[in-house]
Amino acid sequence: MVGTPVLLVVIPLLAAFLIPLLGMIWKELVRIIPGLVLLYMFILSATLLNQVLHTGPIVEVIAGWRPPLGINLVFSPFSGFLVTLMTFIGLMVWIYSYRFKQNVDFEPAKKYFILLMMLVTGSVGIVLTGDIFNLFVFIEIVGISAYALTAFYTERNSAEAAFKYLFMGALASTFLLLAIMIIYTQLGTLNMADIASKMPEMNTTYKITALVFLLTAIGIEAEMFPLNGWAADAYTESPGPIGAAFAGIVAKAGVYAMVRIIFTMFDVDGTMQFMLYIGLITLIVAETTALRQDRLKRMLAYSSIGQMGLIMVAFGIGTAEGVFAALFLMFNHAIIKPLLFFSGSYLVYNSKDKFIHETNGMGKHIPITSILFALGAFAIVGLPPFAGFWSKLSILTAAADENMIIIIALILIVSIIELVYYLRVVNRIYFFKMAEGVEPKKPTLNALFVMVTLGVIILLVGFYPDAITGVLHKASGDLLDKTKYIQDVLLLNP
Amino acid sequence: MKKLIVILLLAVLAWDLGVIFLGLNFGNEHFTEGVKDQYLEKTVTELNVANTVTSIVVNFRGFDTLGEVTVLFLAATALGGILYKKRHHVGERSVLFPSSSLVMSGSKLLFPAIILLGVYVFVHGHLSPGGGFQGGTIIATGFLLMLLAYDNYSVSHNLLSIVESLAGIFFVVIGLLGFMNHGTFLENFLPTGTLNSLFSGGVIPIVYILIGFKVAAELTGVIYTVLHEKD
Amino acid sequence: MDESLFKYIEFSIYGASILLILIGLYGALVKKSLIKIVIGLSIVDAGVHLIFVAMGYIRGGTAPIFSPGFENDASRMVDPIPQALVLTAIVIGFAVTAVALSLVIRLYKHHDTLRIDEIKNLKW
Repeated sequence: MVGTPVLLVVIPLLAAFLIPLLGMIWKELVRIIPGLVLLYMFILSATLLNQVLHTGPIVEVIAGWRPPLGINLVFSPFSGFLVTLMTFIGLMVWIYSYRFKQNVDFEPAKKYFILLMMLVTGSVGIVLTGDIFNLFVFIEIVGISAYALTAFYTERNSAEAAFKYLFMGALASTFLLLAIMIIYTQLGTLNMADIASKMPEMNTTYKITALVFLLTAIGIEAEMFPLNGWAADAYTESPGPIGAAFAGIVAKAGVYAMVRIIFTMFDVDGTMQFMLYIGLITLIVAETTALRQDRLKRMLAYSSIGQMGLIMVAFGIGTAEGVFAALFLMFNHAIIKPLLFFSGSYLVYNSKDKFIHETNGMGKHIPITSILFALGAFAIVGLPPFAGFWSKLSILTAAADENMIIIIALILIVSIIELVYYLRVVNRIYFFKMAEGVEPKKPTLNALFVMVTLGVIILLVGFYPDAITGVLHKASGDLLDKTKYIQDVLLLNP
Repeated sequence: MKKLIVILLLAVLAWDLGVIFLGLNFGNEHFTEGVKDQYLEKTVTELNVANTVTSIVVNFRGFDTLGEVTVLFLAATALGGILYKKRHHVGERSVLFPSSSLVMSGSKLLFPAIILLGVYVFVHGHLSPGGGFQGGTIIATGFLLMLLAYDNYSVSHNLLSIVESLAGIFFVVIGLLGFMNHGTFLENFLPTGTLNSLFSGGVIPIVYILIGFKVAAELTGVIYTVLHEKD
Repeated sequence: MDESLFKYIEFSIYGASILLILIGLYGALVKKSLIKIVIGLSIVDAGVHLIFVAMGYIRGGTAPIFSPGFENDASRMVDPIPQALVLTAIVIGFAVTAVALSLVIRLYKHHDTLRIDEIKNLKW
């Protein structure tokens, strides 16, 4: 027994309050403690995930009040899988940025690590919570950490991107609050399971308005088209590891919230189709925009938005196969996109504008980083035998089972676009001559460790997809079983 | 052109909100079996807290409040990070014109009264309207008044940071003590006393006092950081 | 309370909150000054908070506080939950505003202007 789900949120909060005090004693502690906390979170969530896969979901009440009175946390195979994934990426981001921030002053470094830890914690909270207002609070925790991290580099012009993000985030929280108000005044409860069980009583007008407001709010977090204008700027202007954290952690939490709302809370017909089509539009627009980018990080950002669209498409198919494919895509995207951001930021490390043509000839000078970038690029496009292939295959089979021929065709076309712009970069890395005066930056040991670990996972999942599919099947079954979720929470034995 | 689109969008939103709000049945019960009645009942029978809003904020939905305190803490942290400069000149402020002696002595007179009012509000948060957030804000206005009246008035940044950290740590520790004693985080583990006396409600007044300290320190810190922001 | 007076109050609360939301959104979307955008966002927040608290009102209800010397009938108390939630939402709104203003300070230092049409990336 290592702990219970609530410790996944409480321990990091305790650490965040402790860090300013401990930093007065020994400055190195502000770097070490977040790492230890993230490691603890990862171990705890992995242990709990292993446990819930055998015994069924853990529902934990807070302050001794059973739902719907108190707030509760739900650690089910689905949420547990995501939490484990997020804490793992959080740990990787921490290892990557441990040395990376060595040359930064003490004060900003302290703030950076506190905010990074809270970014992960807030996302974990979004996934775990079973209460809709609590969801709002955690979204704001993620939001404030994300705005501040986006604007972290004072010398870069990052405040613009952060302000844009904040503007969208503030509108999102307004709509979220309005939706919570409508739901509360109609049903008299804030607990998600209770809302789900009472949802049939709700008047259709209110139901649809609340759903639209909720999807608008969450869509901003989940990078849904057309609410994702902030994303590309935020990914580009933030420090390299933070881009990875946005792609691997924050966007996942947003999609989780969206899926929870659509699959569990609301029973409106056509939301699945809505998710499917909005996902398709997001996918196509983002990938074609990515094709036109001349800056590496912007290209990666648009590619990330496109992947989120693909995940929405997979969820929108709505069958067990579709959800399975979506979870597989989420896993792969959470592993591969950070690898691309990590290796990509070394490829353009010393360049000011981060243009793609500045990666010319890097393959000879920093071979390991380059090969890992190429690996990530091939994996995300879905070339066999890498991890991305299996997830692309599973979404295609899921769509084929439902006879969605047009969707299959569109996904394949978009994959070709994706292949084109990634191959363009890989081609430049290996077959172009390096320009005069470009100094490649050798990755630090930490960065190398992180990138190699992620690369090994991609290869492992590519060759033995069965290692992960068992968990994914359980998780997707858990998401689709709405009655069980309601029963688990509301009929909890104290 | 852009204005026109925005106005059209807003008109649609206004129509939508109007329809929704008018149907919400103002002034009547909206639902038959909400959690509200149970809160109103249990705050008296189980917690002995007179102010139901306080018992909801600190106990029933205490987890939200922990998150909320964290949001404030993060905002203070973020402010320091965003406005960070290599060399920090503390104590230099751009003052357009010095305050008159009337304002100065008036503020000095008012300052203790404001602090006292703030402390009263957060100590009695479980008995009367008010609580940690309100009391903390009142205290911060006292500091704001002093900072406006005296251009050389300074608060120790380290002290503020220690106060806010300690208050946050104690909040989490009280929650964890509940976790150890009764099995759930933030659960009340102290005797609840009698309704409407100062020592009632178990951990609720303690937590609200901690929140008061934390909010006061954080808001003062935010004001202080922004006031000393100069090129 | 008189029925017509009650209707008047009802409409003024709806009107005020919708108006606040619309004014705030208009300011945030149309105005060119960064400070005005931040003010607009705060006004939207205020409108939402107002309507949320008002929704907890029950006709002739008292404050949800069981003080001695008052009529303490739980069924005639206004709904305490919206008040608690709005308390949380106000604090969060404050935090967001503080961060927004600090970003505005940074932007002003960098560009020497507060107008968004003169800041390249903020056009959208």
